[in-house]
Amino acid sequence: MELNLDAFERFAVHFNKGNIIFCEYEPGDAFYLIQTGRVQISKIMGDIEKTIDILHPGEIFGEMAILEEAPRSANAICLDPVKALEFNRANFEILMRGNPQIALKLLKLFTKRIYDQRRRFMILTLEDTHAKVADVFLMLDESQSGPKPEGSERVFYTTPGDIGHWAGISPELGRDVLNQFQTQRRIEIYTDRIVVKNINEFARFVNSRRKKSEES
Amino acid sequence: MPKAMTYKANSVIYFQGDISDRIYILKGGRVSLNSNDIETGEPVRDSIQTGEFFGVKSALGKYPREENAIALSDSHVVVFSVPEFEQLALSNTRIVMKMLNVFSNQLRRLHTKVRGLLAEGEQVDPELGLFRIGEYYMKKKEYDKALYAFQKYLTYYPSGAYHQLANKHAQQVEQYASQYGIGQGPGLPATEAGDSVAGKPGANGGAHSAGVGGKSELGPVAKQYYNAVSSFSQGNYTDAMKQFKAIVDTSDDREYVVKSMFEIGRCMYSLERYDACIRHFTALVQRYPKMPDLDEALYYLGQSYEQSGDSDRAIGFYKKILSRSGVSEALKRKVNNALRSLQGA
Repeated sequence: MELNLDAFERFAVHFNKGNIIFCEYEPGDAFYLIQTGRVQISKIMGDIEKTIDILHPGEIFGEMAILEEAPRSANAICLDPVKALEFNRANFEILMRGNPQIALKLLKLFTKRIYDQRRRFMILTLEDTHAKVADVFLMLDESQSGPKPEGSERVFYTTPGDIGHWAGISPELGRDVLNQFQTQRRIEIYTDRIVVKNINEFARFVNSRRKKSEES
Repeated sequence: MPKAMTYKANSVIYFQGDISDRIYILKGGRVSLNSNDIETGEPVRDSIQTGEFFGVKSALGKYPREENAIALSDSHVVVFSVPEFEQLALSNTRIVMKMLNVFSNQLRRLHTKVRGLLAEGEQVDPELGLFRIGEYYMKKKEYDKALYAFQKYLTYYPSGAYHQLANKHAQQVEQYASQYGIGQGPGLPATEAGDSVAGKPGANGGAHSAGVGGKSELGPVAKQYYNAVSSFSQGNYTDAMKQFKAIVDTSDDREYVVKSMFEIGRCMYSLERYDACIRHFTALVQRYPKMPDLDEALYYLGQSYEQSGDSDRAIGFYKKILSRSGVSEALKRKVNNALRSLQGA
């Protein structure tokens, strides 16, 4: 599917390597389609900058700005000299009508975002902190693409800090809960990964907590 | 090729939890999507209209179906695979636009809900957040990125709580970048750590965490400046003015010079030397049109004109302040009060 974007040249913006395209908390009113170069999406958590994603030509970022002028939720930084098309709500319709491929791409991105947000919401509505943390693992398991591994053991390349972030709890509390899981031999924590011994057991645990809170 | 299919009444088209790449369009009959509300757990039934697509999100997003799709009466559907659906969508933008609309509304609602749940703990005030990004990069000696964040801060929050610090840091990182280069130099200097907000927000205004090291030491100019400020706050305006003048005359620290010049104007006003005050602030505003306390300076100009009986000029300055963006609420209130009493008279 070759994109013909010549008509959109007037929306092109250029950045140098290392430039910030936007940073977290900055009000956002534009989104971008990368044409050349790579863009790193990162978030500063405490004293480290975490890379969330690295995007390549053809990919879209900053798309939440179409919905609302909410503050950006991450930094976008150029890893190479970057050329991108910059769109806002005003020229968005023109773009979409002229380029169904981009519209389709955006549609797919939205389906993913909806799923992520829905899933996040479900985690946050659990009352039990342990269930929240267990549900984060279920979410990560669901989002791993490809065929499901045999058996019930799962390996996640993640950190206690990330797990706490997803569960909407403080890093300290997240670590506490994970340590308790480790003591109970339900997980093993390594520097670069966390192994869940029995993902099905976590699923049963989370389900039991979710039902309980609905009954009350 | 898309396939036409018929489902008998009460049969299941797909189950919640199924993973499938099929997308459906209802051609005739009645189909209901049944699920439980993720917030309340209440059963939700969405009936599909003839001509409407269903199963789109989970198929395109490759995630499990979120609802049971049930044929309520004998129903005719056309089934697309994802590539078939894409072909159709590319030749019919209207479909995609409509779906984008629906999806973006769903997404917006979800976002609001999630944000609501994060209200405690995770949420950071965007103003402070933006400032901290600048501090983070400054610490990491990524001066160009720090400058970006501080400049954005000053653009969006020209009289925000950290505007003076942001301004100071912005000048500092610019200087470091040219003096030492990216990745070199002192980062967030120790003398700045005292007023850094990189640590916890310090809800009680208590001790700041001294982020990068050691105690905060005021430089000699800063000491001089704060001595002058304390004279001012004790009502010794003549002394204060002398001290501020000494800074202006002897220091080459631009930040403290501009600050001191501003304070000299305030001293003149407090000493009821309104003509001098007007001349002083007029010159200052012309010389430093981007000074951090510009709004306040305009206010003192207005007040001085008002005190010397020139209501028209005073009103002009007050209106000018109100037309500016990012004026602090407190100042706006003062200006509005002043305007009301002038115009009411």
